Amino acid sequence: MSSPVIDARGVDKYFGRFQALDGLDLTVEAGQVAGFLGPNGSGKSTTIRVLLGLLRADAGTVALLGGDPWKDAVPLHRRLAYVPGDVTLWPNLTGGQAIDLLGRLRGGLHKARKQELLSRFELDPTKKARTYSKGNRQKVALVAALASDAELLILDEPTSGLDPLMEAVFTGCVLEAKEQGRTVLLSSHILSEVEKLCDTVTIIRQGKTVESGTLEDLRHLTRSSVRATVSADPGPLAALAGVHNAEIDGDRISMDVDNDHLDTVMRAVADLGVRSLVSNPPSLEELFLRHYGDELAALNGDKGGAS
Amino acid sequence: MSALTGTGTLTRFILRRDRIRMSVWTVSLVGTVAITVPTLDETFSTDAQRQARAALMDTPTGILFGGPGYGLDDYTLGAMVVNELTMSLLIATAIMSILHVVRHTRAEEESGRAELLRAAVLGSGAQMTAALVTVALLNLVIGGLTGAIMAGYGLDAADSLAYGLGLGLAGLTFGAVTAVCAQLTEHGRAASGTAFLAVGVLFTARVVGDLAERGGGPASWASPFAWVQQTRVFDDPRWWPLALYPPVVLALFGAAYALAGRRDLGAGLIPSRPGPAAAGPLLNGVFALYLRQQRGSIIAWSVATFLFAISFGTLATEVEGMVESNPDIVALLADASTEDVTAGFLGVMSGYVIMAAAAQGILSVLRARGEESAGRAELVLATAVGRIRWYGAALAVGVLSTALVVVLGGLGIGIGALSATDDASWIGTMLESALSQLPAALAFVAATALFAGAAPRLMPLVWVWLGYSVFATMLGALLGMPDRALDLSAFGMLPQPPMEDFEAAPVAIASAAVAVALVLALAGFRRRDLVTG
Repeated sequence: MSSPVIDARGVDKYFGRFQALDGLDLTVEAGQVAGFLGPNGSGKSTTIRVLLGLLRADAGTVALLGGDPWKDAVPLHRRLAYVPGDVTLWPNLTGGQAIDLLGRLRGGLHKARKQELLSRFELDPTKKARTYSKGNRQKVALVAALASDAELLILDEPTSGLDPLMEAVFTGCVLEAKEQGRTVLLSSHILSEVEKLCDTVTIIRQGKTVESGTLEDLRHLTRSSVRATVSADPGPLAALAGVHNAEIDGDRISMDVDNDHLDTVMRAVADLGVRSLVSNPPSLEELFLRHYGDELAALNGDKGGAS
Repeated sequence: MSALTGTGTLTRFILRRDRIRMSVWTVSLVGTVAITVPTLDETFSTDAQRQARAALMDTPTGILFGGPGYGLDDYTLGAMVVNELTMSLLIATAIMSILHVVRHTRAEEESGRAELLRAAVLGSGAQMTAALVTVALLNLVIGGLTGAIMAGYGLDAADSLAYGLGLGLAGLTFGAVTAVCAQLTEHGRAASGTAFLAVGVLFTARVVGDLAERGGGPASWASPFAWVQQTRVFDDPRWWPLALYPPVVLALFGAAYALAGRRDLGAGLIPSRPGPAAAGPLLNGVFALYLRQQRGSIIAWSVATFLFAISFGTLATEVEGMVESNPDIVALLADASTEDVTAGFLGVMSGYVIMAAAAQGILSVLRARGEESAGRAELVLATAVGRIRWYGAALAVGVLSTALVVVLGGLGIGIGALSATDDASWIGTMLESALSQLPAALAFVAATALFAGAAPRLMPLVWVWLGYSVFATMLGALLGMPDRALDLSAFGMLPQPPMEDFEAAPVAIASAAVAVALVLALAGFRRRDLVTG
């Protein structure tokens, strides 16, 4: 296997006394679409800026496309394209001019692909950037990035200003990029988007990587939600190892089961006489809330969590 | 429903929304007057001190920041207040009125809040009327309080009243100018830019007129800046110049309403046109991008400096006569003998050019910092543009635009002097004078580059240094500041032709220092994190 496109290990970054990144690890293999998840302020944008050589890591090693993003910024940047989370443009340039300018500064742009993307994203390139809404500014950066032949796309919450129709267009574009063999790092807090697009997911919290792997892997590590109706009293099930949040209503039970205990729990359910059984793998939202559930609970002032 | 329905509600709303902003303006302006009047009285307590001060106000610098010079022969406290404070107060009320009117007219339309309001029961002219009513109120309160304070310090009550009323009416006039400017373009920034330009032209007209003729020439009378002082309060009072304000204000208001009636909400009379869908071949790099971003401001600074320089240059001969009648001034125009008075005067003017160029240079380099905090630097530096190329282009634009302003300023003074004296050698002399001071202007470019590149937080120090240098150059000799203090001024470091001979060594050393600072700035920027937001 070739070396990863992005390989960051143990990265620390301080802003004054505030620690933005705390031993962060992030690995993205070539040709993958990697989801990078975390709420606002968790360090996603800081990580991306370190990867782009805009910030220098205080500790740890960072390799990007086999080079050092701080020292080799220019040659590396020829091979990647970046869409910031909050795109600001030059107010007196039109969208079309900004796209061409960014393309030229990167070292080239496919004219035909630019035209195609402009019409797919329904972007009017003759308007001055000061008149664009947030979504339209994002489209400008997206068109400039996608019309390049960069082998790595770094997208920082690229859909936060797009309407659902444009999100669908974006999804299509990312899938095409994947087919072309490009690597994509997609930072987001829209879980459904990540679930739809990404091969691997890295979840960070307070500058630390708390989960990473393929969605499949992550699901194995966690719980499935099981609902069953049984003939006998489902009460004893609640006491089994690996069962959580059991709620019993007559002959019905709903519970979360650790995936490594699923086998024994299922046997116990079957022994009680199954009349109906629904088992769902955990959604990304549940994975995410497992790591952020305590924060949510604190915010809500009670025990929150996924339902 | 009339066009004015809802004006009262909106007026109260503006007073509510801006209660702090308006109070701060009022307190700081009126407070300045309240502090300055007794200070002037104490500082210049004897007749001799006052007349020495009056002699200063009769110099070009005195006229630039003072006025037409009424009351200088018998420089009483009242005359002193009028000569020393009026321009600062008028410039402040002009800025205040422009910001206020744009904020409550065009900026409201641009943000879309006007749409929300106009959808309610509100007349089409209500918003502008409310803005104008409040700007009038603000100016008249400030003028009235100023007059009351002056009367309170025992100055003649009628003269104080006339002066306060004049200040208020002048401020209102600038508000009315802004109301017209706000109709022209779709954007608040462009509206205030146009209004600042208009006010700048009016200020220049006053300066040119007052420099041309003791008591003000025709150019002065064309400017609302002049009319307050033309009342000759505390000297030989007359009220009628104040009567010039109301018709001008009414005419401007009428024009603003007429223009507003001809356009849609949110639209400008000068429509914003769609631009090209693709970038032209010239927009191919960071340097081109910077030039394009700063095109307008570089042209504005160059043209303004050039025109200022020409108009000051044409005064070359007038000054000679003025100075001959007052030998005290000769000492102020450096240590020149009487026959060098023209050279001395033009040398001082060339110093102003260098100050303007320095300010332009600082602002130009600060654009890079603005690009960085807005996040546009991030966008560009994530492409195949390196740190050195990005910042180097910014510094190159700063250095070149500063040099352009210096050359045009020197050339302008020379052309003006040529037209007054029929002596073509002035062009070469003044170009030499300006260019030999170029490193002083570039020192500010380099200092800004160094701070913005390596230590953005220390950036305000550059403005402090510029302010100190301007102050020391203009008033240092007069206030008897020690040589060591004067040497800290960037404008005093280099010999300044035509009063002094050009010397290569200090210029070479200064240029080398500038170059070193620029290199350090690039190195510093390369090493530091990008600071966004």
